[in-house]
Amino acid sequence: MSRRTWVLTAAALVPVVAVGCASMGQMKPEEAIAARQQLMKDQGAAWKNIQDKTKAGDVAGLLPDAQKLVDTSKQIPKLFPEGSLNPEKSAAKPEIWAKWSDFEAAAKNLTAQSEKLRDTAQSGDKAATQAVVQTFGRQACGTCHTPFRVPPKQS
Amino acid sequence: MGFARARVTPFVCAVVVALVGFRPDVALAQASQQEIARGRYVFGATGGCGCHTAKGQPANAGGRRYDGPFGTVYSSNITPDRETGIGSWTDEQIVTATRLGRRSNGERLLPVHPYPVFNGMAAEDLKALVAFLRSVPPVKRANQPKRIAVPLFESVFLPAWLAAFAPRETPPPSAPTAGVPRGEYLVRAVAHCGECHTPRTLTMATDNSRFLAGNPKGPEDQAMPNITPDPDTGIGKWTVEQIADYLGTGNKPDGDVAGGLMGEVIDGTLAGYKDLTQGDRVAIAQYLKTLPPIRNKIAKEK
Ligand code: HEC
Ligand code: HEC
Repeated sequence: MSRRTWVLTAAALVPVVAVGCASMGQMKPEEAIAARQQLMKDQGAAWKNIQDKTKAGDVAGLLPDAQKLVDTSKQIPKLFPEGSLNPEKSAAKPEIWAKWSDFEAAAKNLTAQSEKLRDTAQSGDKAATQAVVQTFGRQACGTCHTPFRVPPKQS
Repeated sequence: MGFARARVTPFVCAVVVALVGFRPDVALAQASQQEIARGRYVFGATGGCGCHTAKGQPANAGGRRYDGPFGTVYSSNITPDRETGIGSWTDEQIVTATRLGRRSNGERLLPVHPYPVFNGMAAEDLKALVAFLRSVPPVKRANQPKRIAVPLFESVFLPAWLAAFAPRETPPPSAPTAGVPRGEYLVRAVAHCGECHTPRTLTMATDNSRFLAGNPKGPEDQAMPNITPDPDTGIGKWTVEQIADYLGTGNKPDGDVAGGLMGEVIDGTLAGYKDLTQGDRVAIAQYLKTLPPIRNKIAKEK
Protein backbone atom coordinates (compact mmCIF):
# COMPACT_ATOMS: atom_id res chain seq x y z
CA MET A 1 0.00 0.00 0.00
CA SER A 2 1.39 3.43 -0.84
CA ARG A 3 2.09 6.02 1.83
CA ARG A 4 -0.73 8.15 0.46
CA THR A 5 -3.23 5.33 0.67
CA TRP A 6 -2.19 4.76 4.24
CA VAL A 7 -2.82 8.38 5.07
CA LEU A 8 -6.23 8.34 3.46
CA THR A 9 -7.17 5.13 5.18
CA ALA A 10 -6.09 6.50 8.50
CA ALA A 11 -7.95 9.74 7.91
CA ALA A 12 -11.12 7.90 7.03
CA LEU A 13 -10.95 5.88 10.21
CA VAL A 14 -10.39 8.84 12.51
CA PRO A 15 -14.02 9.69 13.21
CA VAL A 16 -14.73 6.04 13.93
CA VAL A 17 -11.91 4.96 16.15
CA ALA A 18 -10.47 8.32 17.13
CA VAL A 19 -7.31 7.93 19.15
CA GLY A 20 -6.86 4.25 18.38
CA CYS A 21 -6.18 5.23 14.82
CA ALA A 22 -2.94 6.81 15.89
CA SER A 23 -1.42 3.40 16.31
CA MET A 24 -1.16 3.28 12.53
CA GLY A 25 1.37 6.07 12.91
CA GLN A 26 0.03 8.08 9.99
CA MET A 27 -2.27 10.59 11.55
CA LYS A 28 -2.50 13.97 9.82
CA PRO A 29 -0.85 16.73 11.84
CA GLU A 30 -4.08 18.69 12.48
CA GLU A 31 -5.85 15.54 13.61
CA ALA A 32 -2.98 14.61 15.88
CA ILE A 33 -3.03 18.09 17.42
CA ALA A 34 -6.78 17.99 18.02
CA ALA A 35 -6.61 14.46 19.42
CA ARG A 36 -3.74 15.17 21.80
CA GLN A 37 -5.30 18.38 23.06
CA GLN A 38 -8.51 16.47 23.75
CA LEU A 39 -6.55 13.73 25.49
CA MET A 40 -4.75 16.31 27.64
CA LYS A 41 -8.06 18.00 28.51
CA ASP A 42 -9.36 14.61 29.62
CA GLN A 43 -6.25 14.11 31.72
CA GLY A 44 -6.75 17.54 33.26
CA ALA A 45 -10.35 16.66 34.15
CA ALA A 46 -9.25 13.32 35.61
CA TRP A 47 -6.47 14.94 37.63
CA LYS A 48 -8.86 17.57 39.00
CA ASN A 49 -11.29 14.82 40.06
CA ILE A 50 -8.48 12.94 41.74
CA GLN A 51 -7.51 16.01 43.76
CA ASP A 52 -11.12 16.75 44.72
CA LYS A 53 -11.75 13.16 45.80
CA THR A 54 -8.53 13.12 47.81
CA LYS A 55 -9.44 16.34 49.61
CA ALA A 56 -12.84 14.86 50.42
CA GLY A 57 -11.11 11.76 51.85
CA ASP A 58 -12.70 9.49 49.23
CA VAL A 59 -9.71 7.40 48.22
CA ALA A 60 -11.69 4.66 46.48
CA GLY A 61 -13.45 7.34 44.45
CA LEU A 62 -10.28 8.28 42.62
CA LEU A 63 -9.62 4.78 41.23
CA PRO A 64 -11.45 5.18 37.89
CA ASP A 65 -9.62 8.42 37.14
CA ALA A 66 -6.24 6.96 38.12
CA GLN A 67 -6.91 4.08 35.72
CA LYS A 68 -7.89 6.61 33.06
CA LEU A 69 -4.47 8.29 33.44
CA VAL A 70 -2.75 4.91 33.13
CA ASP A 71 -4.62 4.24 29.87
CA THR A 72 -4.36 7.68 28.30
CA SER A 73 -0.66 8.04 29.15
CA LYS A 74 0.11 5.15 26.80
CA GLN A 75 -1.47 7.03 23.88
CA ILE A 76 0.68 10.15 24.26
CA PRO A 77 3.72 9.40 22.02
CA LYS A 78 1.53 8.33 19.08
CA LEU A 79 -0.26 11.67 19.12
CA PHE A 80 2.96 13.58 18.50
CA PRO A 81 3.90 12.40 14.99
CA GLU A 82 6.83 13.98 13.20
CA GLY A 83 5.61 17.09 11.36
CA SER A 84 2.93 18.05 13.89
CA LEU A 85 4.85 21.01 15.28
CA ASN A 86 2.52 24.00 14.88
CA PRO A 87 3.15 27.03 17.12
CA GLU A 88 -0.12 28.65 15.96
CA LYS A 89 -2.37 25.83 17.08
CA SER A 90 -0.34 23.83 19.51
CA ALA A 91 1.70 24.36 22.67
CA ALA A 92 4.08 21.52 21.80
CA LYS A 93 7.74 22.61 21.71
CA PRO A 94 10.23 21.58 19.00
CA GLU A 95 12.28 19.91 21.75
CA ILE A 96 9.79 17.03 21.66
CA TRP A 97 11.17 15.84 18.34
CA ALA A 98 14.74 16.93 19.05
CA LYS A 99 14.79 14.83 22.23
CA TRP A 100 12.27 12.17 21.34
CA SER A 101 13.57 9.50 23.72
CA ASP A 102 13.30 11.95 26.66
CA PHE A 103 9.74 12.75 25.61
CA GLU A 104 8.83 9.06 25.43
CA ALA A 105 10.42 8.56 28.83
CA ALA A 106 8.25 11.39 30.24
CA ALA A 107 5.13 9.61 28.95
CA LYS A 108 6.31 6.28 30.40
CA ASN A 109 6.96 8.06 33.69
CA LEU A 110 3.33 9.21 33.72
CA THR A 111 2.20 5.61 33.20
CA ALA A 112 4.37 4.41 36.08
CA GLN A 113 3.30 7.23 38.42
CA SER A 114 -0.39 6.70 37.61
CA GLU A 115 -0.07 2.98 38.30
CA LYS A 116 1.54 3.80 41.62
CA LEU A 117 -1.27 6.22 42.44
CA ARG A 118 -3.90 3.64 41.47
CA ASP A 119 -2.26 0.86 43.47
CA THR A 120 -1.76 3.03 46.54
CA ALA A 121 -5.39 4.13 46.43
CA GLN A 122 -6.44 0.51 45.99
CA SER A 123 -4.68 -0.41 49.22
CA GLY A 124 -7.07 1.96 51.00
CA ASP A 125 -4.23 3.76 52.84
CA LYS A 126 -5.47 7.34 52.98
CA ALA A 127 -2.28 8.98 54.24
CA ALA A 128 -0.11 7.19 51.68
CA THR A 129 -2.51 8.15 48.89
CA GLN A 130 -2.51 11.77 49.98
CA ALA A 131 1.28 11.76 49.94
CA VAL A 132 1.35 10.48 46.34
CA VAL A 133 -1.28 13.01 45.25
CA GLN A 134 0.69 15.84 46.89
CA THR A 135 3.65 15.48 44.50
CA PHE A 136 1.91 13.82 41.54
CA GLY A 137 1.25 16.97 39.50
CA ARG A 138 4.88 18.04 39.48
CA GLN A 139 6.38 14.59 39.15
CA ALA A 140 3.99 13.01 36.67
CA CYS A 141 2.70 15.92 34.54
CA GLY A 142 5.07 18.82 35.25
CA THR A 143 8.16 16.80 34.32
CA CYS A 144 6.84 16.80 30.75
CA HIS A 145 5.20 20.26 30.66
CA THR A 146 8.37 21.97 31.89
CA PRO A 147 10.71 20.94 29.05
CA PHE A 148 8.19 20.20 26.30
CA ARG A 149 5.30 22.66 26.40
CA VAL A 150 5.07 26.44 26.03
CA PRO A 151 2.89 28.22 28.60
CA PRO A 152 -0.76 28.10 27.60
CA LYS A 153 -2.77 31.16 26.64
CA GLN A 154 -4.66 32.79 29.44
CA SER A 155 -8.38 32.57 28.91
CA MET B 1 16.84 40.52 17.59
CA GLY B 2 14.55 43.39 18.59
CA PHE B 3 14.23 44.70 22.10
CA ALA B 4 10.90 43.10 22.70
CA ARG B 5 12.16 39.70 21.66
CA ALA B 6 15.11 39.72 23.97
CA ARG B 7 15.48 37.01 26.49
CA VAL B 8 17.01 38.88 29.30
CA THR B 9 15.34 38.13 32.53
CA PRO B 10 16.21 34.57 33.39
CA PHE B 11 19.59 35.86 34.35
CA VAL B 12 18.13 35.95 37.77
CA CYS B 13 21.29 35.15 39.57
CA ALA B 14 23.20 34.37 36.42
CA VAL B 15 25.76 36.99 35.94
CA VAL B 16 26.21 38.00 39.49
CA VAL B 17 29.56 36.47 40.00
CA ALA B 18 30.83 36.60 36.48
CA LEU B 19 33.27 39.41 36.77
CA VAL B 20 34.57 39.41 40.27
CA GLY B 21 38.27 38.82 40.79
CA PHE B 22 39.88 36.19 42.97
CA ARG B 23 41.12 36.60 46.52
CA PRO B 24 42.99 33.39 47.23
CA ASP B 25 43.83 34.37 50.77
CA VAL B 26 40.26 34.12 52.03
CA ALA B 27 39.63 31.85 54.98
CA LEU B 28 36.35 30.01 54.84
CA ALA B 29 34.20 30.82 57.82
CA GLN B 30 32.57 27.78 59.32
CA ALA B 31 28.79 28.06 59.13
CA SER B 32 26.46 26.13 61.38
CA GLN B 33 24.17 23.45 59.96
CA GLN B 34 21.27 25.61 61.02
CA GLU B 35 22.54 28.55 59.00
CA ILE B 36 23.10 26.33 55.95
CA ALA B 37 19.56 24.95 56.23
CA ARG B 38 18.21 28.46 56.40
CA GLY B 39 20.31 29.38 53.37
CA ARG B 40 18.90 26.42 51.44
CA TYR B 41 15.42 27.73 52.24
CA VAL B 42 16.29 31.20 50.91
CA PHE B 43 17.88 29.61 47.84
CA GLY B 44 14.65 27.69 47.23
CA ALA B 45 12.62 30.86 47.69
CA THR B 46 14.60 32.48 44.86
CA GLY B 47 13.42 29.62 42.64
CA GLY B 48 16.66 27.70 43.04
CA CYS B 49 18.86 29.94 40.89
CA GLY B 50 18.16 27.58 37.99
CA CYS B 51 19.90 29.99 35.67
CA HIS B 52 23.17 28.73 37.15
CA THR B 53 22.44 25.16 36.25
CA ALA B 54 22.64 23.97 32.65
CA LYS B 55 20.40 21.04 31.78
CA GLY B 56 21.91 17.74 32.84
CA GLN B 57 24.89 19.45 34.49
CA PRO B 58 25.81 19.69 38.19
CA ALA B 59 23.87 22.25 40.22
CA ASN B 60 25.24 25.81 40.35
CA ALA B 61 28.12 25.07 37.95
CA GLY B 62 26.82 27.62 35.41
CA GLY B 63 27.06 27.45 31.63
CA ARG B 64 23.42 28.09 30.73
CA ARG B 65 23.19 30.39 27.72
CA TYR B 66 21.24 33.66 27.60
CA ASP B 67 20.77 35.95 24.64
CA GLY B 68 19.88 39.60 25.06
CA PRO B 69 19.96 42.79 23.05
CA PHE B 70 23.39 43.44 24.52
CA GLY B 71 24.88 40.14 23.41
CA THR B 72 25.24 36.59 24.65
CA VAL B 73 26.19 35.56 28.15
CA TYR B 74 26.67 32.23 29.87
CA SER B 75 25.74 31.95 33.52
CA SER B 76 28.69 31.49 35.80
CA ASN B 77 29.96 28.86 38.16
CA ILE B 78 28.76 29.66 41.71
CA THR B 79 29.96 26.46 43.30
CA PRO B 80 32.69 26.84 45.94
CA ASP B 81 35.45 25.70 43.58
CA ARG B 82 38.44 27.89 44.41
CA GLU B 83 39.73 28.18 40.85
CA THR B 84 36.64 28.40 38.66
CA GLY B 85 33.86 29.15 41.16
CA ILE B 86 33.39 31.42 44.14
CA GLY B 87 35.46 29.41 46.63
CA SER B 88 38.03 32.13 47.11
CA TRP B 89 35.68 35.09 47.42
CA THR B 90 34.90 36.74 50.73
CA ASP B 91 31.32 36.72 52.01
CA GLU B 92 31.31 40.47 51.53
CA GLN B 93 32.26 40.14 47.86
CA ILE B 94 29.47 37.64 47.19
CA VAL B 95 26.89 39.76 49.00
CA THR B 96 27.94 42.96 47.22
CA ALA B 97 27.79 41.32 43.81
CA THR B 98 24.40 39.79 44.59
CA ARG B 99 22.60 42.87 45.91
CA LEU B 100 24.49 45.78 44.36
CA GLY B 101 25.87 44.27 41.16
CA ARG B 102 29.32 45.61 41.96
CA ARG B 103 32.70 43.98 41.54
CA SER B 104 35.22 44.23 44.29
CA ASN B 105 37.08 46.86 42.22
CA GLY B 106 33.91 48.95 42.01
CA GLU B 107 32.97 48.06 38.44
CA ARG B 108 29.40 47.20 37.48
CA LEU B 109 28.11 43.73 36.75
CA LEU B 110 25.85 43.39 33.74
CA PRO B 111 22.54 44.88 34.84
CA VAL B 112 20.71 41.82 33.59
CA HIS B 113 21.35 40.26 36.95
CA PRO B 114 18.35 41.36 39.05
CA TYR B 115 20.23 43.15 41.76
CA PRO B 116 17.36 45.63 42.04
CA VAL B 117 15.39 42.65 43.38
CA PHE B 118 18.01 41.15 45.65
CA ASN B 119 18.91 44.67 46.86
CA GLY B 120 15.94 44.38 49.22
CA MET B 121 16.98 41.03 50.66
CA ALA B 122 17.58 41.07 54.42
CA ALA B 123 21.13 40.82 55.77
CA GLU B 124 20.34 37.67 57.73
CA ASP B 125 18.98 35.96 54.59
CA LEU B 126 21.99 37.00 52.50
CA LYS B 127 24.34 35.65 55.14
CA ALA B 128 22.54 32.31 55.23
CA LEU B 129 22.44 32.16 51.42
CA VAL B 130 26.20 32.60 51.24
CA ALA B 131 26.70 29.86 53.86
CA PHE B 132 24.54 27.54 51.76
CA LEU B 133 26.34 28.32 48.50
CA ARG B 134 29.60 27.40 50.22
CA SER B 135 28.16 24.07 51.37
CA VAL B 136 27.38 22.52 47.96
CA PRO B 137 29.97 20.32 46.20
CA PRO B 138 32.56 22.36 44.28
CA VAL B 139 32.61 21.77 40.52
CA LYS B 140 35.55 22.69 38.33
CA ARG B 141 34.07 24.34 35.24
CA ALA B 142 35.64 27.42 33.74
CA ASN B 143 33.22 30.21 32.81
CA GLN B 144 32.69 30.88 29.13
CA PRO B 145 33.53 34.37 27.96
CA LYS B 146 30.56 36.57 27.16
CA ARG B 147 30.03 38.39 23.90
CA ILE B 148 28.75 41.88 24.50
CA ALA B 149 27.51 44.25 21.83
CA VAL B 150 29.16 47.11 23.64
CA PRO B 151 27.72 50.20 21.92
CA LEU B 152 24.10 49.32 22.69
CA PHE B 153 24.98 48.12 26.13
CA GLU B 154 26.77 51.28 27.17
CA SER B 155 24.65 53.86 25.41
CA VAL B 156 21.17 52.45 25.92
CA PHE B 157 20.77 49.72 28.45
CA LEU B 158 23.10 50.49 31.29
CA PRO B 159 21.98 54.13 31.76
CA ALA B 160 18.30 53.17 31.55
CA TRP B 161 18.64 50.37 34.03
CA LEU B 162 20.66 52.37 36.47
CA ALA B 163 18.16 55.24 36.28
CA ALA B 164 15.41 52.84 37.34
CA PHE B 165 17.44 51.58 40.28
CA ALA B 166 18.02 53.55 43.46
CA PRO B 167 20.00 51.08 45.55
CA ARG B 168 19.95 50.81 49.28
CA GLU B 169 23.58 50.69 50.33
CA THR B 170 22.95 48.47 53.33
CA PRO B 171 20.35 45.70 53.44
CA PRO B 172 17.49 45.73 55.94
CA PRO B 173 18.80 43.72 58.92
CA SER B 174 15.88 41.31 59.13
CA ALA B 175 12.90 40.20 57.03
CA PRO B 176 9.20 40.50 57.94
CA THR B 177 8.06 37.20 59.38
CA ALA B 178 4.34 36.94 58.64
CA GLY B 179 1.31 38.11 56.69
CA VAL B 180 1.14 40.50 53.75
CA PRO B 181 4.50 42.22 54.56
CA ARG B 182 6.17 38.81 54.50
CA GLY B 183 4.50 38.06 51.15
CA GLU B 184 5.60 41.41 49.73
CA TYR B 185 9.16 40.79 50.89
CA LEU B 186 9.28 37.34 49.28
CA VAL B 187 7.72 38.50 45.99
CA ARG B 188 9.77 41.67 45.62
CA ALA B 189 13.12 40.89 47.22
CA VAL B 190 13.61 37.14 47.01
CA ALA B 191 11.42 35.17 44.58
CA HIS B 192 11.77 37.79 41.81
CA CYS B 193 8.28 37.01 40.42
CA GLY B 194 8.41 40.38 38.63
CA GLU B 195 11.44 39.46 36.54
CA CYS B 196 9.18 37.15 34.57
CA HIS B 197 5.64 38.38 35.19
CA THR B 198 6.16 42.15 34.81
CA PRO B 199 6.12 43.66 31.30
CA ARG B 200 9.22 45.53 30.14
CA THR B 201 9.82 48.93 28.63
CA LEU B 202 11.76 49.41 25.42
CA THR B 203 15.01 49.47 27.36
CA MET B 204 14.17 46.14 28.97
CA ALA B 205 13.79 47.58 32.45
CA THR B 206 10.70 46.22 34.22
CA ASP B 207 7.67 48.50 33.85
CA ASN B 208 6.80 48.71 37.53
CA SER B 209 3.67 50.75 36.87
CA ARG B 210 2.28 47.45 35.60
CA PHE B 211 3.81 45.18 38.23
CA LEU B 212 3.08 41.48 37.53
CA ALA B 213 0.64 42.31 34.69
CA GLY B 214 2.18 39.70 32.36
CA ASN B 215 4.39 39.69 29.30
CA PRO B 216 3.39 38.08 25.97
CA LYS B 217 7.02 37.54 25.08
CA GLY B 218 8.96 37.15 28.28
CA PRO B 219 12.16 35.29 29.07
CA GLU B 220 13.05 32.57 26.56
CA ASP B 221 10.20 33.92 24.41
CA GLN B 222 7.59 32.31 26.67
CA ALA B 223 4.26 33.97 27.46
CA MET B 224 4.23 35.10 31.10
CA PRO B 225 0.70 35.22 32.52
CA ASN B 226 -0.87 38.26 34.17
CA ILE B 227 -0.95 37.44 37.90
CA THR B 228 -2.61 40.63 39.17
CA PRO B 229 -6.09 40.12 40.69
CA ASP B 230 -7.94 41.12 37.50
CA PRO B 231 -10.79 38.60 37.27
CA ASP B 232 -10.79 38.23 33.47
CA THR B 233 -7.18 38.55 32.37
CA GLY B 234 -5.37 37.87 35.67
CA ILE B 235 -5.87 35.44 38.54
CA GLY B 236 -8.66 37.32 40.34
CA LYS B 237 -10.82 34.21 40.33
CA TRP B 238 -8.23 32.09 42.13
CA THR B 239 -8.62 31.85 45.91
CA VAL B 240 -5.69 32.48 48.26
CA GLU B 241 -5.58 28.75 48.92
CA GLN B 242 -5.47 27.93 45.19
CA ILE B 243 -2.56 30.32 44.58
CA ALA B 244 -0.64 28.94 47.58
CA ASP B 245 -1.31 25.40 46.37
CA TYR B 246 -0.07 26.21 42.89
CA LEU B 247 3.26 27.51 44.21
CA GLY B 248 3.79 24.27 46.12
CA THR B 249 2.43 21.71 43.64
CA GLY B 250 2.11 23.30 40.19
CA ASN B 251 -1.56 22.29 40.17
CA LYS B 252 -3.94 24.85 38.64
CA PRO B 253 -7.57 25.05 39.77
CA ASP B 254 -8.75 23.64 36.41
CA GLY B 255 -6.71 20.42 36.53
CA ASP B 256 -3.84 21.68 34.38
CA VAL B 257 -0.27 21.57 35.67
CA ALA B 258 2.41 24.29 35.38
CA GLY B 259 5.26 23.91 32.93
CA GLY B 260 7.92 26.03 31.28
CA LEU B 261 9.90 28.44 33.42
CA MET B 262 7.25 28.35 36.16
CA GLY B 263 7.70 24.59 36.37
CA GLU B 264 11.43 25.25 36.75
CA VAL B 265 11.15 27.70 39.64
CA ILE B 266 8.53 25.60 41.46
CA ASP B 267 10.75 22.51 41.22
CA GLY B 268 13.94 24.50 41.62
CA THR B 269 17.33 22.81 41.59
CA LEU B 270 18.70 22.01 45.02
CA ALA B 271 15.50 23.65 46.33
CA GLY B 272 12.60 25.63 44.81
CA TYR B 273 9.25 27.31 45.53
CA LYS B 274 7.87 23.85 46.33
CA ASP B 275 10.01 23.89 49.48
CA LEU B 276 8.43 27.09 50.83
CA THR B 277 6.38 26.60 53.98
CA GLN B 278 2.60 26.69 53.62
CA GLY B 279 2.72 29.92 55.70
CA ASP B 280 5.05 31.62 53.23
CA ARG B 281 3.03 30.47 50.21
CA VAL B 282 -0.15 31.81 51.78
CA ALA B 283 1.64 35.09 52.58
CA ILE B 284 2.64 35.43 48.91
CA ALA B 285 -0.94 34.72 47.81
CA GLN B 286 -2.32 37.25 50.29
CA TYR B 287 0.08 39.89 49.03
CA LEU B 288 -0.86 39.21 45.38
CA LYS B 289 -4.50 39.82 46.34
CA THR B 290 -3.61 43.33 47.57
CA LEU B 291 -2.15 44.41 44.19
CA PRO B 292 -4.14 46.70 41.90
CA PRO B 293 -5.89 44.55 39.27
CA ILE B 294 -4.56 45.35 35.79
CA ARG B 295 -6.37 44.37 32.62
CA ASN B 296 -3.85 42.83 30.26
CA LYS B 297 -4.73 39.79 28.24
CA ILE B 298 -1.74 37.60 27.50
CA ALA B 299 -2.37 35.61 24.37
CA LYS B 300 0.13 33.93 22.16
CA GLU B 301 1.42 36.35 19.53
CA LYS B 302 -0.04 35.66 16.11
C1 HEC C 1 4.81 13.25 27.90
C2 HEC C 1 4.46 14.65 28.01
C3 HEC C 1 3.22 15.06 28.80
C4 HEC C 1 2.73 14.52 29.97
C5 HEC C 1 3.28 13.36 30.80
C6 HEC C 1 1.57 15.30 30.31
N1 HEC C 1 1.37 16.29 29.37
FE1 HEC C 1 -0.16 17.62 29.34
N2 HEC C 1 0.55 18.43 27.62
C7 HEC C 1 1.70 18.04 26.97
C8 HEC C 1 1.89 18.83 25.78
C9 HEC C 1 3.06 18.73 24.81
C10 HEC C 1 0.79 19.71 25.70
C11 HEC C 1 0.47 20.71 24.57
C12 HEC C 1 -0.27 19.94 23.47
C13 HEC C 1 -0.60 20.78 22.25
O1 HEC C 1 -1.07 21.93 22.42
O2 HEC C 1 -0.39 20.28 21.12
C14 HEC C 1 -0.04 19.43 26.88
C15 HEC C 1 -1.23 20.10 27.18
C16 HEC C 1 -1.98 19.89 28.33
C17 HEC C 1 -3.20 20.59 28.64
C18 HEC C 1 -3.86 21.68 27.78
C19 HEC C 1 -4.75 21.02 26.76
C20 HEC C 1 -5.47 22.03 25.87
O3 HEC C 1 -5.03 22.21 24.72
O4 HEC C 1 -6.42 22.65 26.35
C21 HEC C 1 -3.65 20.09 29.83
C22 HEC C 1 -4.91 20.50 30.59
C23 HEC C 1 -2.72 19.07 30.25
N3 HEC C 1 -1.71 18.96 29.32
C24 HEC C 1 -2.83 18.33 31.42
C25 HEC C 1 -1.97 17.30 31.79
C26 HEC C 1 -2.08 16.55 33.01
C27 HEC C 1 -3.13 16.77 34.09
C28 HEC C 1 -1.07 15.63 33.00
C29 HEC C 1 -0.73 14.59 34.07
C30 HEC C 1 -1.82 13.75 34.49
C31 HEC C 1 -0.32 15.82 31.78
N4 HEC C 1 -0.89 16.84 31.08
C32 HEC C 1 0.78 15.07 31.43
C33 HEC C 1 2.57 17.04 27.37
C34 HEC C 1 2.38 16.19 28.45
C1 HEC D 1 11.39 32.32 35.65
C2 HEC D 1 10.15 32.95 35.33
C3 HEC D 1 9.06 32.99 36.39
C4 HEC D 1 9.18 33.38 37.71
C5 HEC D 1 10.42 33.81 38.45
C6 HEC D 1 7.85 33.28 38.26
N1 HEC D 1 6.96 32.85 37.31
FE1 HEC D 1 4.99 32.47 37.62
N2 HEC D 1 4.81 31.78 35.72
C7 HEC D 1 5.81 31.76 34.77
C8 HEC D 1 5.32 31.09 33.58
C9 HEC D 1 6.10 30.84 32.30
C10 HEC D 1 3.98 30.71 33.84
C11 HEC D 1 3.05 29.88 32.93
C12 HEC D 1 3.30 28.44 33.32
C13 HEC D 1 2.44 27.40 32.62
O1 HEC D 1 1.22 27.41 32.83
O2 HEC D 1 2.98 26.54 31.92
C14 HEC D 1 3.70 31.16 35.19
C15 HEC D 1 2.47 30.99 35.83
C16 HEC D 1 2.13 31.50 37.07
C17 HEC D 1 0.81 31.42 37.66
C18 HEC D 1 -0.41 30.79 37.00
C19 HEC D 1 -1.12 31.83 36.19
C20 HEC D 1 -2.15 31.27 35.26
O3 HEC D 1 -3.01 32.07 34.84
O4 HEC D 1 -2.10 30.09 34.92
C21 HEC D 1 0.90 32.02 38.89
C22 HEC D 1 -0.23 32.18 39.90
C23 HEC D 1 2.27 32.45 39.07
N3 HEC D 1 2.99 32.12 37.95
C24 HEC D 1 2.73 33.12 40.19
C25 HEC D 1 4.08 33.42 40.39
C26 HEC D 1 4.59 33.97 41.62
C27 HEC D 1 3.75 34.34 42.83
C28 HEC D 1 5.94 34.07 41.47
C29 HEC D 1 6.97 34.52 42.51
C30 HEC D 1 6.84 33.85 43.80
C31 HEC D 1 6.27 33.61 40.12
N4 HEC D 1 5.11 33.22 39.51
C32 HEC D 1 7.55 33.60 39.59
C33 HEC D 1 7.10 32.26 34.94
C34 HEC D 1 7.65 32.67 36.15
